[in-house]
Amino acid sequence: MNDEQATDMDNINTIDSETAEVQEETNDSNPLEVSEFADKKTLGFGFWLAAFWLVLISFLAVFSPMLPFKDSEKNYIAFEQKENPITGKMQERPIQPPYAPSSEHWLGTDQDARDILSRSIEGARISLAVGALTALFGMVVGGTLGMIAGYFKGVLDKVVGAIFLVVLSFPGLILAILIVALLDRSLLTISVTLGILGVAPIGRLARAQTLSFSEREFVMAAETLGSKKSRILIKELLPNVLIPMSTLAMLVIAVAIVGEGTLAFLGLSVQGSATWGKLILTGSGLNTLESSPWVAFVPMGFLFLTVASFNYLSDRIRDYFDVRDIFVTRD
Amino acid sequence: MLRETEETETILKLTDYRVGFRTERGLAKAVDGVSLSLKRGSTLAIVGESGSGKTVLNRGVMGLLGANIIEGGSAEFQGKELVNESRQKFWGIKMAMIFQDPMTSLNPVMKVGKQVSEPLRLHQGMSKKAARERTIELFTLVGIPEPAQRFNEYPHQLSGGMRQRVMISIALAIDPDLLIADEPTTSLDVTVQKYILDLLVEIQSKSDMSMIIITHDLGVARGRADEIMVMYGGRVMEMAPAETLFQSMMHPYTEALFSSIPRLNDPKHTRLKPIEGFPPDIVDGPQGCKFAPRCKYAQDICLTAHPPETIDNGHAYSCFFPVGTDAGIQALESNEARGFTATGLKIKSKSEAI
Amino acid sequence: MPKAVKRFIGLLGLLTIVSMVTFGAMNFLGDPLFNILGPVAADVDNPESLAAIEEAKAQYHLDKSLPERWARWAWDFIRGDFGVQFSSSGQPPVSDLIKERLPRTLELMAVAQLIAVSLAIPWSVLAASRANRRTDKISTITAFAFVSIPSFAMAVILFYFFSVQLDFLPDTYTANDPFWGFSHDHRLIQLILPGFTLGLGSAAAYQRLLRTDMITTLQQDFILMAKSKGVSKRRVLYSHALRPSLFSLITLLAINIGFMIGGSLVVEQFFRIPGIGSAVVEATLREDFPVVLAVVMIVSAGFMVFNYLADYLYTLVDPRVRHEDSSKPRKITSMGM
Ligand SMILES: Nc1ncnc2c1ncn2[C@@H]1O[C@H](COP(=O)(O)OP(=O)(O)OP(=O)(O)O)[C@@H](O)[C@H]1O
Ligand SMILES: [Mg+2]
Repeated sequence: MNDEQATDMDNINTIDSETAEVQEETNDSNPLEVSEFADKKTLGFGFWLAAFWLVLISFLAVFSPMLPFKDSEKNYIAFEQKENPITGKMQERPIQPPYAPSSEHWLGTDQDARDILSRSIEGARISLAVGALTALFGMVVGGTLGMIAGYFKGVLDKVVGAIFLVVLSFPGLILAILIVALLDRSLLTISVTLGILGVAPIGRLARAQTLSFSEREFVMAAETLGSKKSRILIKELLPNVLIPMSTLAMLVIAVAIVGEGTLAFLGLSVQGSATWGKLILTGSGLNTLESSPWVAFVPMGFLFLTVASFNYLSDRIRDYFDVRDIFVTRD
Repeated sequence: MLRETEETETILKLTDYRVGFRTERGLAKAVDGVSLSLKRGSTLAIVGESGSGKTVLNRGVMGLLGANIIEGGSAEFQGKELVNESRQKFWGIKMAMIFQDPMTSLNPVMKVGKQVSEPLRLHQGMSKKAARERTIELFTLVGIPEPAQRFNEYPHQLSGGMRQRVMISIALAIDPDLLIADEPTTSLDVTVQKYILDLLVEIQSKSDMSMIIITHDLGVARGRADEIMVMYGGRVMEMAPAETLFQSMMHPYTEALFSSIPRLNDPKHTRLKPIEGFPPDIVDGPQGCKFAPRCKYAQDICLTAHPPETIDNGHAYSCFFPVGTDAGIQALESNEARGFTATGLKIKSKSEAI
Repeated sequence: MPKAVKRFIGLLGLLTIVSMVTFGAMNFLGDPLFNILGPVAADVDNPESLAAIEEAKAQYHLDKSLPERWARWAWDFIRGDFGVQFSSSGQPPVSDLIKERLPRTLELMAVAQLIAVSLAIPWSVLAASRANRRTDKISTITAFAFVSIPSFAMAVILFYFFSVQLDFLPDTYTANDPFWGFSHDHRLIQLILPGFTLGLGSAAAYQRLLRTDMITTLQQDFILMAKSKGVSKRRVLYSHALRPSLFSLITLLAINIGFMIGGSLVVEQFFRIPGIGSAVVEATLREDFPVVLAVVMIVSAGFMVFNYLADYLYTLVDPRVRHEDSSKPRKITSMGM
């Protein structure tokens, strides 16, 4: 209880109504009370923490070739001086990897003595690229379709709505493995495939937003002033659709990163490159987990922090701008 | 109604009772020092503008405000102190409450029969069957047709009036010593209102329980309450036996509140005419009398000092310049003469006011 | 009722389109002949191979146009004939595979859903009853973390802690073991790790939704009313507040079944459960079209049916909609794989 308040009224104590634990548990608002006195709207500390992580990991991903990290593909075999049992001489012999985290390899190495930190950052390059491309595809295609549907209404709206419905009724992951298996496993194919899954949710949101904004005064005003339709769409409507759409796009990035990992576990991820999903997979065999859990858990930590950060940012921004839809993402 | 014959026992006694909410801006003093005492079998009506603290006062007494409040002063229920004590032991046994809106205060997904029989089963140890029979009996008592069939219906299947009768059956099932009815009829139409209120009064006088009726409606207060309490900004402005209050109101707020019923033989259920201005800020309110900023009588002293309570033959009021007294008449005249009050409120002189 | 019928017809239409798209994609992008015959399909110079090719083309109607082939497939499908497995020796019918494997996947999903719901309900009730206090804040963060852990990561984590480190839960699934029983030789126990892998994330997603709805419910007057009747805190939470808070959750439960199918692909792969998920992964990699098609159809149908049911399921908990069309649950935009 606040001292200042306590002196306000004489003879007051905190009430320990019903439960004793109320007292020990701080004095935040009770659910049974009106919530109009709920916390002020701020993005909060967690928001900045998440944003910081995303900036950091993106920076590392983009500039890693210029940064003094170890080579992610090189085998850093360590040697030790050991007596040769036959000759009895001291000899330099390789130590069997994987190596545990040390000052040499901060986060350890894998079975092939490759530096896990460097590989995780290399993985970030691919995984983030997949995420960004996916979101871009979803925003451009879904956003365009949705806005057109919402603005022109009528037949166009019906057609676009039907397309969204069909896409949504596919089991997403099966669709993804189908396309990837039938086409190829390039970065672009995988991103576009995952992007298709984001088109319908983003598109539906864009449509709903456009629909509600197109009835507002400023759009009406522009229409009566004879602005071109394309101009209204871009100048008046797009800015208003963009914020809710980008909160959803952040979720799409998270889903795409998870989706890439899932594909990797099914043996279908980007060929040749180290992605987070692939790194986790290499570390998740029984023997590796037993002897060197860091091989799986380090890239998993990177993936988790990134996915959680995108989820959290999206959640906070939605809260902040009062976007009321509930989005549920599950892999 | 008060029974004169028996020696009357005090059921509820509040002394300087306070309730504050912790808010971002500071402490919201929703109830700011209320004293009253309620005798067994009597009815108290609490009247006041919206936001005057009626609901908070009563939920506070019931202990239904949760943990985010600061409670002060004293509230004794049958001699036991309530403030800062758990009131759970009284719930469903000695105290009951009827809420304003019977739609939102009945559980929408529970059969009404179950909602009525719940306290019977929980507190009176009745079997499922006995509780059911008693519930149907109560339904009959409050005038619910086809009670056995209603038992298995959900609130949304009943009309507003029926729902409120269900609420009353719950109160009756509890058979409390104190029944608090918070605007029990505002959401109902006029004929139903009258029926429900008469029912409440009838039951109350039969069962010897004490009742607090909170209301906006003067018709309700009059004729049904033994005493009337007028609240403003969390404080008691005036309190008196019902007829005394109607005949000689002393507080300018009461006068303003009641100004919409010029004659006694006006139709009942006359709505209060809103008073000009806004209710006080309960976090950071006026220094002196809370009503001063809206009061036609206000003088300099009203801005700095709390008027003391005057008690005159059971009629209590807190005002420096009571209506109808020499001081009051003088204050009003001087304000009218200069055209504004000590708080700067512009007023019209009597002649223009017509 | 006509509205329900209308929606049902729409659903059939959707399924038809889904099958056309899948059928078309597989025939455009892949080579069914190759999948039936293997390298022989490319060996057009050899008369023996050519004969085999002609025979296969006739047998599987590969010489017909795509729409006709789709129509034949659809007609067979409706009558319960899902075709044969191209890539298995002897080419046994697809329905055998489905019959063998679908129950295992359904078992896994049932276990997972059960785990998710039975965790989510007490978890949400606890959090909501202490909204914004420490317990709630910690549980919100926990839920957030759990929804951000993909099933493959969850699989690795649980496998590491409960199988590798603690060694008390089995990680091997034996399809021939009996289901009901409580030893490592019963599938019920073998499904615990996979079930939690699928269920924990769902539990967290459910918790996030149910907690919010519970908090809203707890602010209602009828909760105060229940308290003032002297109903114990526990009873207020579980028998007064829980049921009216379940509407959105039920919608999500149904939607989430669709996501669980996606998750079960990975989980089956990781824990080596020969269910329908691993079947479709194998079939896709081997381009075994009839199997993929059948699974896509079954999964989409299941997915759609549950989404469709979601709109009617909540009438079970909300008596209001049984009589009139009043409150609808909140709109839930779902996304994922
Ligand atoms: N949980 C709360 N937190 C902070 N302030 C509150 C809370 N509940 C009520 N108040 C404030 O307390 C004051 C009294 O409210 P109350 O509901 O008792 O008024 P009332 O006299 O019952 O009004 P009405 O006639 O409209 O029902 C109001 O100013 C209100 O804003
Ligand atoms: Mg009120």
